[in-house]
Amino acid sequence: MSAVASSFVRPSTRPDEIHRLLTDVERYNPSNTVLLEDYLARQCANPDPQSNHDLMANLALLKLYQFNPEMVDTDVIRRILAKALISAIPGDFNLCLYLLSDEICSDPSITKLLALRESLERAQFAKFWRDMYGTLEEEDEDASVVDGIAGFDNGLRRLILAEITATYQTIPAPSVQEMVNLDEEAVVRLARENGWTVREGVISLPLKTENEAKALVINENVGFEQLTKMLSAANDV
Amino acid sequence: MYQETYDDEEFVGNIDVVADSYANADEIEDAGDIDDEELLLQAQAGVQSIPEQVRTFLGYLHRNLQSGKVNDLTYNYEMQFPRLSEKYYAKASWPEPQYVAALVNDDGLFLILYRELYYRHIYSRLHPSLEIRFRSFENYCDLFNHILNSDGPTDLELPNQWLWDIVDEFIYQFQSFCTHRSRLNKRSEEEIALLKENSQVWSTYSVLNVLYSLIQKSNITEQLRAQQQGGDAAQVAGEFGGRLLYKMLGYFSIVGLVRVHCMLGDYTLALQTLENVELGNSRALYTRVMACHVSVYYYVGFAYLMMGRYADATQAFVHILTFVSRTKQYHQRQQVDAASKKAEQMYALLAIAVSLSPVRVDENIHAYLREKYADQQHRIQRGGEDALDVISELYLFACPKFITPNPPNYEAEVVEPQAYQLRTFLREARLQLVVPTLRSFLKLYTTMGVDRLSGFLEMEPAELKNQLMVYKQRCRQVKWDGGSDLLSGELVPSTDLDFALEMDMIFIAESRVGRRYADWFIRNANKVQDLVVVLENRQKDTIAGKPKVDAVAA
Repeated sequence: MSAVASSFVRPSTRPDEIHRLLTDVERYNPSNTVLLEDYLARQCANPDPQSNHDLMANLALLKLYQFNPEMVDTDVIRRILAKALISAIPGDFNLCLYLLSDEICSDPSITKLLALRESLERAQFAKFWRDMYGTLEEEDEDASVVDGIAGFDNGLRRLILAEITATYQTIPAPSVQEMVNLDEEAVVRLARENGWTVREGVISLPLKTENEAKALVINENVGFEQLTKMLSAANDV
Repeated sequence: MYQETYDDEEFVGNIDVVADSYANADEIEDAGDIDDEELLLQAQAGVQSIPEQVRTFLGYLHRNLQSGKVNDLTYNYEMQFPRLSEKYYAKASWPEPQYVAALVNDDGLFLILYRELYYRHIYSRLHPSLEIRFRSFENYCDLFNHILNSDGPTDLELPNQWLWDIVDEFIYQFQSFCTHRSRLNKRSEEEIALLKENSQVWSTYSVLNVLYSLIQKSNITEQLRAQQQGGDAAQVAGEFGGRLLYKMLGYFSIVGLVRVHCMLGDYTLALQTLENVELGNSRALYTRVMACHVSVYYYVGFAYLMMGRYADATQAFVHILTFVSRTKQYHQRQQVDAASKKAEQMYALLAIAVSLSPVRVDENIHAYLREKYADQQHRIQRGGEDALDVISELYLFACPKFITPNPPNYEAEVVEPQAYQLRTFLREARLQLVVPTLRSFLKLYTTMGVDRLSGFLEMEPAELKNQLMVYKQRCRQVKWDGGSDLLSGELVPSTDLDFALEMDMIFIAESRVGRRYADWFIRNANKVQDLVVVLENRQKDTIAGKPKVDAVAA
């Protein structure tokens, strides 16, 4: 299992200035809103999924909005949520939501993101892509929900692929096409990049801890703390 | 029982104190030479109306505060004050501070502390009016001003329990004010006008400012960090932080902040705040006051639950519930009462956490949970809308009071943050319900076709495959790794039942938990040891001819 990327560890791209702000009472200073908004813009412009999301900074921004409702910028909130949507950590999105309110969530773009999130959470990927890009006529309007987020589609595909490879050992290629919203050719290319084998329309995924399904016997571990009481008693005797 | 008889004895032994303060009070009034005779009479009547026993108590409390006898204060505060409140003021407020002033030579600091008790009593027994709420806030400002803005550290010394109660009550009154303010339909027009005029009273910024100032003044963060790294806390404590009053107030403010952050829905910041508070350390400062100890774990557990880290939430709740049930007999009654109330809430939250992410918990806790919530747990595990209803019910019984940090729009409908937080929590919890349902079927097979399972569940095969992916994702949880940062953790499987899909065939693997022999032996060895210690002490006491002593550990 790969080491988990935590949303709470300082990303390499976080400047010192922002870091100081997050670990200090400065985080309550409304005049820092601009700083955090600029930082969010930089996160949105960066397509690299490894380094383009700083949840803690974005939560601090949402908190400033929570305390200063007159400063709320719905478009910023939309982008924060869109970033959280493609975060590899499933809890990030909800953590952002907790800082919002019914009023903010009733904004059409936020409502739309919530609906998208719901399809994603329920692994209804085909529905997700349909809702996301919809039919041609609606395209312009819908695209705006994730507008200005570099690498959104690819970030999303990474997430979906992670779920597929954790669940399946073999899977029909057309299912994958549907789930990641790519055509046959692109999926074959994807398979080659990831070292999957494709035979007669069936993709075999490499085995890893998640999709191995091996039965284990979990044995107890005795921690040292459990023994401290006994040891100290032995010392008294 | 023993404590109560002791209590009465104390009163008998201090009749001279009564006479003392009595005489004093008369002197002051005589010397006061107030023109308005009516006022004087009123004041005299006010003082006279204070029962003798209460006057004794106040005189005693005043003297102990002046001489800084913390042990005596503990007794005044934890034993006498609640008893007198029960006896004389069960349905009324304590004597007006202005009358008490006559008894204590107008000692300003004493009166601030008295007023704190006076208002706190009103909050707990009566319905505080808006005016009382404003005044109580002013009094807190006076108190914290004295502590934070004097030239040097104050000489005041108070017992830990009292300090904790001050911080805790301060936050409670803040929360109570926010809730009061948001119930617009119950507020009169004058009240709303008053609220609009005084928007800085009980403002979120002012409350946070107090807590952060107490933390900063005491250098508590630096002290804790030094301690954690094996250094000497005293070296970084500074002029203020070196005093116990500041150190403990700073520490309790950290715990208070966790509560405020949770009330505002900021669970990450809540856990981040506890960074240097060593959870699990049985000698950490929070263990000095039971209510604080319980509070730390309640909010940590709750924050984890809201973050969808059910295993961590379970661990936090089980830890503190075990502690509460084992140490009940060592604490004062009213502390146990308060802790038991919180414990009941935590059992409800634990029932949610364990149902959503089944794990094996401590036997005693498990037994209690079964007794109390077996039906609810069963219904949650069955899934569907009914499960959500049960979760909501348990949640609303057990969750903290949420607040909106700003004054409401007095012209519009106000929405309660309670419902919003619950709905957001359910978004996550609802997905987790897939786990128990699927698990109950998968458990019966080693291989199974998707179409067959979808037949059992009356679900489209395509949707079932989606749910299987959800199951996979939900069965991995971030779990705290025991470090100082409560937010960090590693992704671990949280179920004993794993599977993989090969096209349309489900291959199921069940992990077994080996018998926990060592755990069993360790626990029972410890039990025997405790028993031996108790018996030995009893024997020693009998030999020494001492009566039974209260078992409070030093």
